[in-house]
Amino acid sequence: MKRLALSLTCAAILSAVLKPCAACVAVAKSFSPAIAQTPANATLTAVDGIKVGSVTLPGGTTGCTVILVDGEGVPGGVSQRGGAPGTRETDLLSPLNMVDKVNAVVLSGGSAFGLDAATGTSKWLEEHNIGWDVRIAKVPIVPAAILFDLPIGQNAKNHPGADCGYKAVAAATTDPVAMGTIGAGAGATVGKMGGPGTSMKGGLGSAAMRMPDGLVVAAIVAVNAAGDIVDPDTGKVIAGARAADGSFADARTLLRSGALMRRRAATPRAVENTTIGLVATNAKLTKAEVSRMALMADDGYARAIFPSHTMGDGDTVFSLATGRWNGTADVSLIGALAADAMAKALVQAVTQATGLPNIPAVRDLRK
Amino acid sequence: MNVAQGFSPAIAQTPANATLTAVPGIKVGHHTLTERPTGCTVVLIESGATAGVDVRGAAPATRDTDLLSPSKMVEQIFGVALSGGSLFGLATVDGVLRHLEARNIGIVYGNRHIPIVPGASIFDLGVGDASVRPTADCGYRAAQAATDAPVKEGSVGAGAGATLGKISGMARAMKSGVGTAAIAMPDGLIVAALVIANPLGDVIDPATGAIVAGVRNANGRGFADARKIVRAGTPRGRLGDNSTIGVIATNAKLTKAQASYLAQLTDDGYARAIWPIHTMVDGDTVFAIATGSKPGDPDMIAIGALAADVMATAVIRAATQATGLPSLPAVRDLK
Repeated sequence: MKRLALSLTCAAILSAVLKPCAACVAVAKSFSPAIAQTPANATLTAVDGIKVGSVTLPGGTTGCTVILVDGEGVPGGVSQRGGAPGTRETDLLSPLNMVDKVNAVVLSGGSAFGLDAATGTSKWLEEHNIGWDVRIAKVPIVPAAILFDLPIGQNAKNHPGADCGYKAVAAATTDPVAMGTIGAGAGATVGKMGGPGTSMKGGLGSAAMRMPDGLVVAAIVAVNAAGDIVDPDTGKVIAGARAADGSFADARTLLRSGALMRRRAATPRAVENTTIGLVATNAKLTKAEVSRMALMADDGYARAIFPSHTMGDGDTVFSLATGRWNGTADVSLIGALAADAMAKALVQAVTQATGLPNIPAVRDLRK
Repeated sequence: MNVAQGFSPAIAQTPANATLTAVPGIKVGHHTLTERPTGCTVVLIESGATAGVDVRGAAPATRDTDLLSPSKMVEQIFGVALSGGSLFGLATVDGVLRHLEARNIGIVYGNRHIPIVPGASIFDLGVGDASVRPTADCGYRAAQAATDAPVKEGSVGAGAGATLGKISGMARAMKSGVGTAAIAMPDGLIVAALVIANPLGDVIDPATGAIVAGVRNANGRGFADARKIVRAGTPRGRLGDNSTIGVIATNAKLTKAQASYLAQLTDDGYARAIWPIHTMVDGDTVFAIATGSKPGDPDMIAIGALAADVMATAVIRAATQATGLPSLPAVRDLK
């Protein structure tokens, strides 16, 4: 948040005096952007060619979020490192495989049932004549991933289906992405390493960075991690398992105290998790490069979630490169920025979330 | 709000031997060349161990990593060879094989033993005379020197030529080396890491977000911060000569698939302690070794989380234990 605040100050000074932001650089104590800007729209839709729509089901505790590529499809990739994934059409994203155009990506609650949301998104795309041209038809390419939110609210009997995916893609706009307890993040929770009743609300988060040469890198994520959310700038827990006195138990401490292993020995199931997200850039990347971008963005999970990629997390990151910017940038640097954008999106997801009964959000703790 | 300060061990112990050899059955040996700063570090598991690998960097130099896939036949390995010298350094494996074969260690095939020894190398050819590289002789000597004593850290073995913080070029980089760390849980579980940290990026302490070692400011004082440099615009030109390679070891009994997964989870330690990591010019690789001397079902969530943490600690030690070279200061030189 400190970085965000500093860069906003930076932008304000820029617009006020129209001078280079050297003064900001001098005062920046941490690693706030020296020249890179947080765009006015600091969410995924800051990337030219990307639209986002979310639908939350009645009851407000599950839903889906669709990332729509405007116009023709663009190269996409995926990094799937969690131990309990629920995914669809991820194999075709391998650089070895033929299809190199993605039309939309669906993130959904509802566990495996929620993959049905992609059916609705595909239907909408077909109605709009968008997809991979196989002459007799256009086949919409819609990779998808789900998170496990069935214990929240009445979700066990009420999961996002094709209707959710259809409505979300129809609602997709270039407006700043609505964050918090919404869409795929509506039923998301974090900090589940401390036992029943100690978790906190996760949600949908997004962040974006704009480089002086016009390169934009942005992220969106629905965080539903078993682990705590940690701010990589400070190493401090932002949201996570709570101790009896209301403070953070800190999964890192629980792990070392042996409490985690004792609790898991008693109740070994840990499947009620999964963090799913997407990074996008306006750079032009090959399918192999966009795959590397997804792999590097996954390091944002490692930095902002502890522990991440566990056997109970189906952690997945998609990537898209819209190619609407004509500059050139090294994929290593795009990937490094994507990891940071993803870490910032994770922090946004928990700080923007609103609580549910017995599941407080960060903003509830501040009261 | 009462935010937990740091995450010091509550019950988990740092064993008296807080290095990779804290895991029973594991021996480590270094050999450092005298001609220039380079060398090799050999990990031996003479009674064999289940193993896996995760190659997440984009510029790897590796050998016998394919056989570590859970779908492949070989179930046990007997050593891992880490070296300098880029792909030339993979020849060190040959010397380790010679050492083990002479001792009848390996998979039995007729009356022969075939030692299975995967290897990985860092790119350190930019530090001194590039024509000097670790060879089979280096691997043989390191294997002969291997013991279960606490592992020597710093600018030795495969870490002799290791550097870090290269995003603004070698002139502002720092010296790195070998780092290792171990943790012991009350139930007898041991998880230990050893790393040759030679990244493009800076080394970060994940507990605070502060830079431990990295790109130095042009005036030589303080850190420039790779995170700022990247945001200030695209660095031009060659991004340096890199790769972080390491080993995570545990006494837990793991399947080959679990060992592969452990290697993947350990890579999160690289992500937390190095910025940036897994770039196109880093050949980042993690080998995982499970000796299986501790019986019982493994708790993969706990083992994986500990592994990432122990690896992050090892990366920090690789930076803090290094000894500088002329124009390549180490952390201790900055004090």
